[in-house]
Amino acid sequence: MTIREEQIREKLLESLAGKAEGLLEAGRFGAVFAHAGIGKTALMVQLAIRSMLRGKNVLHVSLHDPVQKVALWYEELFQDAARRQGMAGAQRLWESLVPHRFIMTFRVDGFSVPRLAERLEDLAAQGIFRPEMVIIDGFPFEETSLEALADLKKMAGQGGFYGWFTVHTHRYETPEADGIPQRLKPVSSLFDVVLEMTPDKERIRIRSLKGAGLTLEGGSLLLDPSSMLIRAEVAGG
Amino acid sequence: MITDIANVRNIGISAHIDSGKTTLTERILYYTKRIRAMHDVKGKDGVGATMDSMELEKERGITIASAATFCQWKGHEINIIDTPGHVDFTIEVERSLRVLDGAILVLCSVGGVQSQSITVDQQMKRYHVPCIAFINKCDRSGADPFRVISQLQSKLGHNAVAMQIPIGLEINFSGVVDLLTMKALYFDGEHGEEVRVEEVPPELEEKARKKREEMLDAISLFSDELTEALLEGGPISEDLILEAVRRGTLARQLTPVFMGSAYKNRGVQPLLDAVSRYLPCPSDVENTALDMDHEEVPVSLSCDPEQPTVAFAFKLEDGAYGQLTYIRVYQGSAARGTTVINARSGKKVKIGRVVRMHADQMEDIDAVNAGYIGALFGIECSSGDTFISPGVNLTMTSMYVPEPVISLAIVPKDNKSQTNLSKALGRFTREDPTFRTHVDQETSETIIEGMGELHLEIYVERMRREYGCEVTTGHPRVAGARETVFIDGIKQGRIPKEFIPAVEKGFRLCLAKGPKMEFPVTGIRVVINDGASHAVDSSDMAFQAAARGAFREAYGRAKPIILEPIMKVVVETPTEFQGAVMGLLNQRRGMIIGAQDEGPQCVVEAQVPLAEMFGYSTVLRSATQGKAQFTMEFAAYRQVPVSIAEKIAEEVAQRKKSAA
Repeated sequence: MTIREEQIREKLLESLAGKAEGLLEAGRFGAVFAHAGIGKTALMVQLAIRSMLRGKNVLHVSLHDPVQKVALWYEELFQDAARRQGMAGAQRLWESLVPHRFIMTFRVDGFSVPRLAERLEDLAAQGIFRPEMVIIDGFPFEETSLEALADLKKMAGQGGFYGWFTVHTHRYETPEADGIPQRLKPVSSLFDVVLEMTPDKERIRIRSLKGAGLTLEGGSLLLDPSSMLIRAEVAGG
Repeated sequence: MITDIANVRNIGISAHIDSGKTTLTERILYYTKRIRAMHDVKGKDGVGATMDSMELEKERGITIASAATFCQWKGHEINIIDTPGHVDFTIEVERSLRVLDGAILVLCSVGGVQSQSITVDQQMKRYHVPCIAFINKCDRSGADPFRVISQLQSKLGHNAVAMQIPIGLEINFSGVVDLLTMKALYFDGEHGEEVRVEEVPPELEEKARKKREEMLDAISLFSDELTEALLEGGPISEDLILEAVRRGTLARQLTPVFMGSAYKNRGVQPLLDAVSRYLPCPSDVENTALDMDHEEVPVSLSCDPEQPTVAFAFKLEDGAYGQLTYIRVYQGSAARGTTVINARSGKKVKIGRVVRMHADQMEDIDAVNAGYIGALFGIECSSGDTFISPGVNLTMTSMYVPEPVISLAIVPKDNKSQTNLSKALGRFTREDPTFRTHVDQETSETIIEGMGELHLEIYVERMRREYGCEVTTGHPRVAGARETVFIDGIKQGRIPKEFIPAVEKGFRLCLAKGPKMEFPVTGIRVVINDGASHAVDSSDMAFQAAARGAFREAYGRAKPIILEPIMKVVVETPTEFQGAVMGLLNQRRGMIIGAQDEGPQCVVEAQVPLAEMFGYSTVLRSATQGKAQFTMEFAAYRQVPVSIAEKIAEEVAQRKKSAA
C-alpha cells in the first residue's frame, strides 16, 4: 500500500462508525434491532468496511437481498465516505478491500443455523475464506433454537470470529422492561452486546441496551439519514 | 400442403440446456408420426435423438444447429425450429426467433428458471414472440411445477397461469388434470401414445377447482364476454376460455403453463393441442420489411402467396449435396424454377430444388409459400440474406449481431489442414455472423473470435471433424481494441509538419506491442513537445525510430504494470456441489463475490482472470456430474499479481531467446 493509500485508509477509518468498533471480540455475539428502514444494514456495512480496511475478513449473510444488492450497499457506502473525505483515486483501495468480503444469501425459508455452520466449515476447510466478522442480516430469531445458536457461538470461539445479528422489530411489539425485544429474549443470554436504533428528530440514535456499551460522553452515536454514515454526537448538535 | 394459413404454426422450442427440449421434440415427432422410433439424447442405443443432426451434438448431448422440421397434428401443420440452449450459441437462438411466430418455453420442474431461461426470454421479448410454457421432468425428484410458475412470475415477469395440475409428482407422476375440460388425462401404451380421459381423482377435485378459478380470474382480463359469464355464475363454455387464453397469449400478456415429462411420455399431446390452440398462425403476426427505395421505411408484408416474394435465409447447412439454405417466406412464394434476387448482393438466383426438412431426411416440394419454412438447395448466400422478386426492393431488417468477446489464435498442424482451414473458416463465417476471423499481421497466426470459449471450441472441433483440419490453439483472450491519446504540442515547428504522422506511427507501433512483455499498452497520453530535424538526414523512418526510442525510455521509467482481463463468472449448480464449485473457482485465482442459495439450486458469482478459465467447462462438468452451468462475461482489467507477472516475464524472455 502506498503512503497515499495509507492516508486514505486512515481518513476513512475516522469517518466510518468509529466508536462502534471494538465492541465485540472473537467468539462474541452482538445484536442490533430497529424498525424497518432505519439503517441496520447501513450500520452493519460500515462496521464491515472498517474491518476490511483493517485487513480483516467479513462474511455478510443476507436473508432478504440478492448478492448484487448487498454488494451495492458496500460500494455505495465506501464511495460516499470517500467522496465526503474529498478523496479521488480510492478505486484501487476499494479493489484491494473486496477480497476481504464474502457475501452469502439465503432464502429465509431455506436458512438454518446448522446449514450456515456447514457452509462456514466448508469454506474454511477448502481454504477459501475464513471470516473474522460475520454479519447475519435479517436473522430469523423466532425459528432458531437456543442450542443451535449456542453451537454457532462455540464455533465462533473456535473459528476466531464474532457475529453481528440484525433484528427487524415491528411497531406493535412491546419490548421487555430492559428494552430488549421479546423475540430476542429466549436467546438473549448468548448476546454480549445489544444495540437499538431509533429515529430521533432528524437523526437516528444508536443506544446500547446491553454490553460494554458506547462510552461516548452524552451516551450515543448518530446515523445521519442523508448519508447513512455514522458519527459521534457533536456537542449541542 | 395445407392451404389454410390459419392452420400453420411456426414454433420454436427454447430452453435452458438440459431441460429436455430435444427429448420433447423427439416425442412430438413420434406422436405426429414423423418418426417411428424413439431415441434419447444420450441414448444407450447409440442413435441419438433425431433433431441433433450433427455428430458432435450427439456426442456432447447438446443441440448446436437449429434444424427445422415439420409435422402435422389434428389438421394443423407445425414447423419446429430446434434452438440451441447454450449461451454461447445465442446468435443461433436469435436467428431462429426471427422466423418464429410462437414458442414453447421449456423449463425443468426441478431447476426452474435458470440464467439461460432469462437470456432466451429476453430474446423472445425482443422479437415479440408469444409463448406457452411447458414444465418438463415432473417425474424427477424435487419436482415442483408451482414453484417454477412463481419463478416465471417473479424472475421473468410473465403472467404465468397453470392450465393443468399434475396428478402425483416425482416418481408418482402419472398424468395431468386439464383445467379447461376438468378431466384427468393419463398416457397409456408402450410410448404413452394413447391418451385416456377420466374423471378428476376425488383427492384432486378441490385443488383443481381452486386452480381453475385462479386461471379463469387471470384470463378474464382478455375477454369481456368471459367476465360477464363469470359474473352471471353460469357454466363457462370451453370456446370462451380458449378465445381468452389465445388473445392473452398473442398479446404476450399471458403465458399459459402446461406440464409433463417428455422422457416418461406424459403430457406431450395436450401440449401439441395447446400449440394449435393458443400460438399464432403466420397471418396473426405482423411482419415488416425495409423499403430500400424509400430510405428503409418499414413496409408491412402480407401473408399472400400471390404477392411479390420476400423470403429470409436464416440458416445455412453444409449437407451431403451441397449448401442447404433454410428460408422463411414472408410474402409470395419460393417456387422451383423461378428466379429471385438476393437483396444484399443484387445477384439473380434461380431456385432449383425446394425441400421440406425433417432433421436428416428431406422431402421434395414444389414451392414454399408465404408463412412457411422450407429449404433451398445449391444457393450461394449468407445467413441473414433476403430473397425478393424482381421489381421489389425490400430487405428484412438486419439482425442484431453482438460483438465477439473472446479471441483465440489457431495454427494448422500440416499443409492439408492449412488448405482446409480457409474452406472451414469461409463456411463458418458465412453461417454465423458472431464468428469472425482475421490474420494477426505480426505473428501470422489466424485469430478466430466468437461469443465464448465453448463457441470457439465447437468450431475448432468442427474443423477437425468436418474438414479434417487439425489445429493447435493458443490461450483465449478478450477480443476488442482500446484507444490511446496522441497530442501534438510541438512549438515553433522544430519538427516539420510532414514528419508528425511518422512520429505518431512510431508511438502507435510501440503501443500495439509493449517493449517489455509484448502486450498492448493502454492508458497512455503521448505529448510531443520538442524535437529537432536535419535538412538532409531526416526521414519518415528516422522519426519513427526516434519515437520508438523515446517511448522505450519513458516507458521504463513509468513503472508499467501488466493488466489482465477479469471475467465475471456466474455458476449455477445444485446446492450439493456448492463447495466443489467454490473450490474450483478459488483454485483459479477467482475472487468469490457471493453465493446465492435458492433452495435446490444455488448461484455462485466470482471474478476470475480469463487466463485461468481455460478448460473450465470440462473441469466444472466433471466436478458436478454435468449438472452445473456457467456464464462468463468481461468485467474489467486488473493488475496481474507480482508472482504471475514474473512468470510472464520469464516466458517472454524464453520466447525471445528461442526466436533469436
